[in-house]
Amino acid sequence: MNDHRSVSIVMIEDDEGHARLIEKNIRRAGILNEIKHFTDGTSALDFLFNHKDGPALNGPALILLDLNLPDMSGTDILAKIKGDGPLKRTPVVVLTTTDDKVEIQRCYDLGCNVYITKPVNYESFAQAIRQLGLFLSVIQVPDVEGEG
Amino acid sequence: MFERLVRHIGGTSRSVSRWLIACMAIGFGALIVTGLSAAWLTARSQDHTGWINHTYEVELAISRANTLIEQAETSRRGYLISGQKIYLDIYRNASARLPAAFNRLAELTRDNPRQQASLHRLRALVDALQARRDHANGLIAAGRIDEARDAFAKDTDARQLPAIRSLTEAMAREEERLLSIRDAEQQASVRAFYATLTIAGLLLLFVAIASVATILRYTRDLAASRDTLRDFADSLEELVRERTADLSRANDEIQRFAYIVSHDLRSPLVNVMGFTAELEAATGTIADLIDRAEQNCPEVVTEDARIATREDLPEAIGFIRTSTQKMDRLINAILKLSREGRRVISPEPVDIAALVGTIDATLKHMIDAREARLVIDGALPAIVTDRLAIEQILSNLIENAVKYLQPGRPGLITVRGSRDGQRVTYEIEDNGRGIDPRDHQRVFDLFRRSGNQDQPGEGIGLAHVRALAYRLGGVIDVQSELGKGATFRLSLPVTLGDLQGN
Repeated sequence: MNDHRSVSIVMIEDDEGHARLIEKNIRRAGILNEIKHFTDGTSALDFLFNHKDGPALNGPALILLDLNLPDMSGTDILAKIKGDGPLKRTPVVVLTTTDDKVEIQRCYDLGCNVYITKPVNYESFAQAIRQLGLFLSVIQVPDVEGEG
Repeated sequence: MFERLVRHIGGTSRSVSRWLIACMAIGFGALIVTGLSAAWLTARSQDHTGWINHTYEVELAISRANTLIEQAETSRRGYLISGQKIYLDIYRNASARLPAAFNRLAELTRDNPRQQASLHRLRALVDALQARRDHANGLIAAGRIDEARDAFAKDTDARQLPAIRSLTEAMAREEERLLSIRDAEQQASVRAFYATLTIAGLLLLFVAIASVATILRYTRDLAASRDTLRDFADSLEELVRERTADLSRANDEIQRFAYIVSHDLRSPLVNVMGFTAELEAATGTIADLIDRAEQNCPEVVTEDARIATREDLPEAIGFIRTSTQKMDRLINAILKLSREGRRVISPEPVDIAALVGTIDATLKHMIDAREARLVIDGALPAIVTDRLAIEQILSNLIENAVKYLQPGRPGLITVRGSRDGQRVTYEIEDNGRGIDPRDHQRVFDLFRRSGNQDQPGEGIGLAHVRALAYRLGGVIDVQSELGKGATFRLSLPVTLGDLQGN
């Protein structure tokens, strides 16, 4: 990522265990960026758009999004992020258990950048996340519009 | 009244037909009576005409006799006045013809005693007159004309002739009287005929109206019941549609439920498996530590710590691992089944023999390893169905047959098929170890297996096969005895409807 320190990773994942495993494996891939974790959609959206440290007001970010959330559908969050707002160019990686074709298509239609189905088998899961970490280490994240 | 009668009668089709037949019988009866009375009237008319002729003949005979009498009288008087012989000839001629005329009259009025009596008197009068005339004529012929004239003057001729005339007139009147009686009779029979005709006509009219009314009403009833029937059929169709919709909705619900449940179960499973792996890694680290501690300062390592690290932890982790792996497979199986249920099936003509050949090739390694043989017995009937589904069904069944062979017996798997009307049946027969009859239904249930658990498997294959068979509008059953092989019979529609899919 452009500046390894400045790009924060926002993880929206309701399952604490998954979040912990994802974080562990991203760290194992050598990614040291700050990871902000939210377990529900409302507080995540609030952080993304309104918090003073959030990406809308303070610098580039990359979003890891789970689709199965307790308070709202992940696709709704995706639609809000990719809608006509300051975060529309922010990369979103959908990381979820769903492998339903229709759901995958819908996410890409809404502007998701990467869609990853979590493997149930932990070895595969760990490997996938580590590869994602490697991927994160090389992608360019655009600056957020307006504030820069 | 008519309506009520008709309604009363036209209740059921049987009583309607009985009523119509009765009407027809009455109508024909009326026609027959009319015909008979017409025939009777014709006979009567002929009879009557005969009698009229007879009367005229009698009158003619009377008037002829009368004429002869008058002619005789006239000629006789001419003879008396003129003395000429020609008058005498005419007189004789007339007199000679008179008996024949009387005979004729007697013959005609033989059946009438009154006329006979009158005739008798007439004959007597005429005979008496004749005698006197003959006497007078004899006088004239003898030249005693004056005597003859005296005799004529004295004669009662003048009185006798009117008597004769009135007698003949009476006879004529008698005949006329008879004629008028016969006329009256004829009139009466004509009236009777007209009455019969009228009654028959009315009867026919009544019968016709009743029949038409009955038929109309019956037709109306039929139309009404046909409408009711159609409505009923429509509502039945509607009912079937509703039920089908309910069923498919329930089915969809189950599919969705299975999908969601299995899907959501995966999420915690990821954690269990993930942290088990973390635990394993950590155990490895701790085991290293124990190893090093044992080498460097053995007094720190207790027996419990060593057992916990080297045996208990790996054992517990191993059990968690195998259990979660199994659970993962089960969840995947459910997921696969539910996904199969959601898949849109597309019917196409499938060559089953070629399909079995492909399966044979795919399983060749396994079949050869177990020294089994797969043969097709006879021609397999053609079918239009979903290729993928039927391939999975046959592949599962054949694989099962290869898997569960009887040890020590060369495996022989036979595929055969037959067509019966709109359904085809494929049989996959093996000579393997067989299935206990108690388990014949159970083997088709998810996660249920039968017999020795010496082969890998989750108990999914046959459940999958049955679900697919149902999906293709078919059924599957098994016939088997322990140790004697098994025959799976798959019955499918010849042509799978396009509407079968979701």
